This record gives sequence, structure tokens and C-alpha cells, in this order.
Amino acid sequence: AAVGGERPQIVSHVQQALSYTVFDCKWVPRSARLLCLGSAARGTGVLQLYELHGARLELLREIEKPKPIKCGTFGATSLQQRYLATGDFDGNLNIWNLEAPEIPVYSVKGHKEIINSIDGVGGLGIGEGAPEIVTGSRDGTVKVWDPRQNDTPVANMEPVQGESKRDCWTVAFGNAYNQEERVVCAGYDNGDIKLFDLKTMSLRWETNIKNGVCSVEFDRKDINMNKLVVTSLEGKFHVFDMRTQHPTKGFASVSEKVQKSTIWQVRHLPQNRDIFMTSGGSGSLHLWKYEYPAQRSKKDSEGSEMGVAGSVSILQNVTLSTQPISSLDWSPDKKGLCVCGAFDQTVRVLIVTKLNKI
Amino acid sequence: MPLWLREHSWRQTLTAVYLSLPLRGARATPANIFCSEQYLKVSIPPFLFEAVLYAPIDDTNSTAKIGNGNIFFTLYKKEPAMWDSLTLANADKEKLQYLRENAVLKAQEKAKEEMEAKKITKQEHKKYALEATMKVEEAERKRIEDLKEKERQKVTKELELWKSQQKDGDKYKSIQNKRELHQEIEPLKERKNEKMNTTQIPNEGTSKTRLKSTKGSCSIFSQNLKEEQLPAPRAAATIKVNFTPRVFPTALRESRVAEEEEWLHKQAEARRIINSDLSELEDLKEEEKNPDWLKDKGNKMFAMGDYLGAVNAYNLAVRLNNKLPLLYLNRAACHLKLRNLHKAIEDSSKALELLTPPVPDNEDARVKAHVRRGTAFCQLELYTEGLQDYEAALKIDPRNKNIEKDAEKIRHLIQGTMQSS
Repeated sequence: AAVGGERPQIVSHVQQALSYTVFDCKWVPRSARLLCLGSAARGTGVLQLYELHGARLELLREIEKPKPIKCGTFGATSLQQRYLATGDFDGNLNIWNLEAPEIPVYSVKGHKEIINSIDGVGGLGIGEGAPEIVTGSRDGTVKVWDPRQNDTPVANMEPVQGESKRDCWTVAFGNAYNQEERVVCAGYDNGDIKLFDLKTMSLRWETNIKNGVCSVEFDRKDINMNKLVVTSLEGKFHVFDMRTQHPTKGFASVSEKVQKSTIWQVRHLPQNRDIFMTSGGSGSLHLWKYEYPAQRSKKDSEGSEMGVAGSVSILQNVTLSTQPISSLDWSPDKKGLCVCGAFDQTVRVLIVTKLNKI
Repeated sequence: MPLWLREHSWRQTLTAVYLSLPLRGARATPANIFCSEQYLKVSIPPFLFEAVLYAPIDDTNSTAKIGNGNIFFTLYKKEPAMWDSLTLANADKEKLQYLRENAVLKAQEKAKEEMEAKKITKQEHKKYALEATMKVEEAERKRIEDLKEKERQKVTKELELWKSQQKDGDKYKSIQNKRELHQEIEPLKERKNEKMNTTQIPNEGTSKTRLKSTKGSCSIFSQNLKEEQLPAPRAAATIKVNFTPRVFPTALRESRVAEEEEWLHKQAEARRIINSDLSELEDLKEEEKNPDWLKDKGNKMFAMGDYLGAVNAYNLAVRLNNKLPLLYLNRAACHLKLRNLHKAIEDSSKALELLTPPVPDNEDARVKAHVRRGTAFCQLELYTEGLQDYEAALKIDPRNKNIEKDAEKIRHLIQGTMQSS
């Protein structure tokens, strides 16, 4: 455990004021460049590409699009191409070549309402299998797309006929440890979490955590699913141990209540899958460490295996803003470098020190 | 009349006067001694000694020693000179008076000045203390800031280093890419030539070795292979999803669940009432569905003596709105007249329940309810319960003579039965 002066410090490195609302910020892989996506005041979408130069951010490109952009990912693109997949307020999924952003490389009107969340897998030299993109929307559906197939999704998780829909707020890929296996986890505004298995095309697990689910993330997409962190309204988050599924009780979990306000995002450190950062509606960031229990599974009274959840301890926290920090991304190249975007129209580059000592 | 102390003795030097004053058994404290520049007084009631001194003295440095039934004064002269006598000889009463007053005033002024001086020094001390603490805190803060700044600079340097590595890496990669491209073209050219001249074995050999020597080109080929190895797009399928049911379109929050439940409950209640009546009461006229109108109808029928009709009207009104206390109240009255005493008690009780909280506004109604229930109890010969209700009614409205009379009657009845039993 980190003690006293050995605790990681969250240092604010650069702050950049923006003239639009930023909804998502992402590092461009293999570079010191970052991308900010959002909505300008006149209702159009904005993409800005910045480069980190010493203590400031230099604007390299600014691209305007007809509809505001909600989310983006580099997860399904190759390292050479580094195409960005975005979801916008109108339900369109686009893949852009940032060198030539006038025409998208791939475009589809995937949903009837805003795409709240997007994730990509199979790209960047990580994992195996086809590159795929998953989008979750307010229209209650979760769709998986293959950039090689136009117009129709390769998987569609939609409400039963006649069922009233719930907003899907977040999606994440996981369990992609070989070419066939893949799961998608989706969180909804009524507290539902659903785990879809894409190999068998079925619902593998579902639960309800009694608060709207804001963000879900597996600790690693490309391994046998290990841990899933779910954050929600009312300042709570849950860490599920995904190695052992009990037939009735599902997955074991541990939960923490951090604060009164919503926890908007969770992001695992790419270089250490047991450290993750949560960002809150009060403008604060919390850095956590998960500790595994002595035994990760045990037998219950009937002899079926059930998981044992570990414990979560806080490493550091800092308040950067008075407005919610809605997006967060760790740099995959430099350990401890991260960018966060808040609703006070500011994007901040932070450095978390002493992560090597954890 | 004070007793003058006159047995004093004194001696002097050039600079000082030493005065010895015996106290005839009286005990002296510093408060009894008053001294100013030219006036000295010792007042220990009832004893009094005063002296208007020959010449002014330095009263701040002069001392008085109390002990052995004696006060020993050491007075330092302002001007070193030998005095002819201790006191001014020809001091008349007026001068005495003036000197006395003057002395007192001077003493008071001095006291004030001393206080002021003390206050000022106290304030200065406080200010100093405050500044000192501020300095200490400032130093602490600065220390922490410096630590943080050092961290930042260290980290910034690391970042710059990493970035330059990245740049170098990129440069290297772009060079490699160019070389790879070049390499790619070369073997292709070679292969073309091969097809044309199959006998050019040495060229083939060299091209192969060239291929093998650069690792860049290997990666191109391996990547192409990899691309071919990517699985085909998944077969499209749909998974049907069921959601945990939720009535509200807003997101679920734990803290709001209680409120939401209450709201739903009330909605269900209202709907139930409307729905239960809809089927049976479709053939009723519009006005007959209004509980107030029905209440009036009932009242009229009661006034005319049609108690059964009144009860029916009230019944219907209650079905439409079971939260109006007056309906139950009036129905109770009907039941009393009809001698349905148990029903009267029930209805009065229900009325009282609905008439909470007990406020001046519903006093009349509550009195009536209590009286009606009391009457019903009495008619059932449950006199103690009846008396309870009458007394409750009296409590609300103490000035009602009728209730008092009835209460008395019941008390007599109770006493009568107790005596006889």
C-alpha cells in the first residue's frame, strides 16, 4: 500500500479553455496528440486535434461537422491508419481519416436517437479477431458494427416488441482473448447492466444496480474477462469479479460510495489493470486500486462455484473543477499521462506520478 | 469626624524625605494611601492623616512601606533642597481644598494615561503575534508549493524526453516506410524480370537476400498475411432484450425511489376510485356524480325527515369521495335517528379520524361528532364511553350549556347504577 509521501500525486499539467462543450477527449495512439469532440454553441459538431508542446496545447486542426459529436474511439482501427470512429447526436456512426476529414471513410445512420457511447475492439494491434465497433443509444438499442460491412450491424440488441425502451448510456467490449470470443456490456438508465455474448449471440448475464448506469469498462478488453467496473448515479461504483459466474447469483462484486454526485466515467490504467480512475459530477477525480482476495472463488452450499470480490482502496483524489468531468482518457503510451474534459468547457492534461511504486 | 493622626516623625536628606507614621492599631493596605505630587493622604476610617507637602515630590518613584503598625514613607524630592518643614505652614483652607482636588485630578489623569499606554502595548503585542503566525503559515505553504512545482518540472522534463523519443521513433518509422516501399518495388521489379528471364538465377538470389536482410519488408508481408487472416464479418443476428420495468422515463436514482412509490400509490388510488364507479354509475346524471351535490340532497332529506333517503345519498357520495368528513358526520346523525346505533358510532369515529388535525376551523364538526357518538353510546347504555365523548366535546367547546346538562345527566346515571349495584 502507498504510504504518506509515496502516494501518487495528480498534477495538473496543462489547461485549455475551449469555446464549445466538450463531450469526449481521446489520445491519438502512438503520439502526443489528443482529440476533443463536442458541440459548438450553434448546434454543430466540433473535432479539435491538439498537440502537447511543453506546458501548452497547440491546436493542429479544427474540423466542423453538421451534427454535434457525443463520443469517439480509436479502438477498432489499425495503428497505421488511426481512423476515428464517432457517434453523434443524430444517431450517425462515422469513421474519419483525420488526414482527410471531409468525407467519412464509413458512415451509417445507426440509431434513431443520440449515440451515447461507443467502443472499439480488435484494432491498435491489441487482441485478435475482427475489428468491431459497438454503439449504445437513447433509442434503447445496442448495435455492433463491422467497418467492412455497410449499412447493417452485425449484432443488434434491441427491446422486445412492445416493451418500452430505456436509454442505453454506456457500452464496452470485453473478453476478446481470441478470434471467436467477444462480449459487450451495456448499462442503461434504469440501472440495468446486461452482458451479451457475441459468440453465442445471447444474453449471458444481467443485473440491476438500483441507480442509472453511467459508465462500464472491463479492466482489459483483450483478455479473458477479469474485472468489470460499473459507475452510476448517486456517487456509487461497483467492481465485479468476472472470472466466476454463479448460476443464480451471477458475479461477485464490491461497491463503494464516493460522493453524492454522479460518477461519470471510469478508466483503467492501460499499464496496470488494477488501477483505475473515476471522474465525478463534483469536478473531482479519484484514483483507486483494486486488491484481489486470497481466494478468488469458493464453493457455496450446493457446491457451485461462486466468485469472491476483493477490496478497493483510494490512492488519491483531487478536485479540478466545479463542473462535472464527463470524459477521461489515459495515454496508452506514457504511463500516468491522462486527459480529462469537463463541462466548464475546459480540457485538462494531467500527470499522475509515482504509479511505478504501486 | 475623622480622627487625625498627628504623631508622625520625619527626617530628610537633600534628595529625600523619610516620614514615619504610626497607626494606632489600624491595619493599612495600599488602597488606603493616596499620594500625588504635593499631597499625601492616609485614610483608614476612622483615622485620617493628610499632609500638603512643602515642595513637590516624585510620586511615581516614592515608596511606602507598611509594617509593624507603622507606615514608613520614602519620598524623593523633585528638587533637591532642604525643606523648612514637612508641610506648608500657612496653608489656608481654600488652598488646601484646591490642592486636594488638584491632586485627585492629577492622580486620575495619570491612571488614565497608564491604562492607555497598557492598551497600546497590548495591541502591538497582538499584532506582532499575528504577523509571526502568518509568516510561519506562509513559509509552510511555500514549502508545499515548491515541492509540487518540483514534481511538475520533473514530470514535464520526462514528458519532453518521451516526446522527443516519439519524434525520433516517427522519423525512424517514416524512413523505414520509405525504405520498405522502395524494397517492395525492388523485388516486384525483380520478379517481373524473373518471369521474363527465368535463367537470371543470380538476380533472384540477390533479391531474396535483399528481402531477408531488411526486417521492414518482412513486416509488410506479415501484415498482409494477417489481414487475410481476419475473420469475415460476423453473421448478423439480433438479441432481444427485456428491461427491468420502470414507469418513469427518468433515470433510476435510489434517493428518489420513496417519492416515486408514493406518487404511484396516489395515482393508483385515484384511478381505482374513478374506475370502480364508472361501470355502475354510467346511468347517473352529471350532478349526481358530484359528492357535494349529493351531500346537499342528503341534508335536505334529513331536514324533511326522510332518513333512509338521506343515508342513500350519503352512501353514494362516500363511494365517490371517501375523504370528506362531513359526509360521515351527517350520516351518523341519520343513523342516530334510525336507531342504527353501531353504525352511528362507526360513522362518527370515521368523521373524527378525518377531522385531524384538530384546528379551530373544524371545532364545530368535531363537537358534533363527539356528541353524536356520545349519544349513541348512551343509548346503548355504555354510559362511561358516552361520558368520555361528552367530556371531549366540552373540552372543545366549554360554553355549550346543552352538552354540560347532558354530561351531568350521564354522570348521575353512572353514579346511580354504581350505587345500586
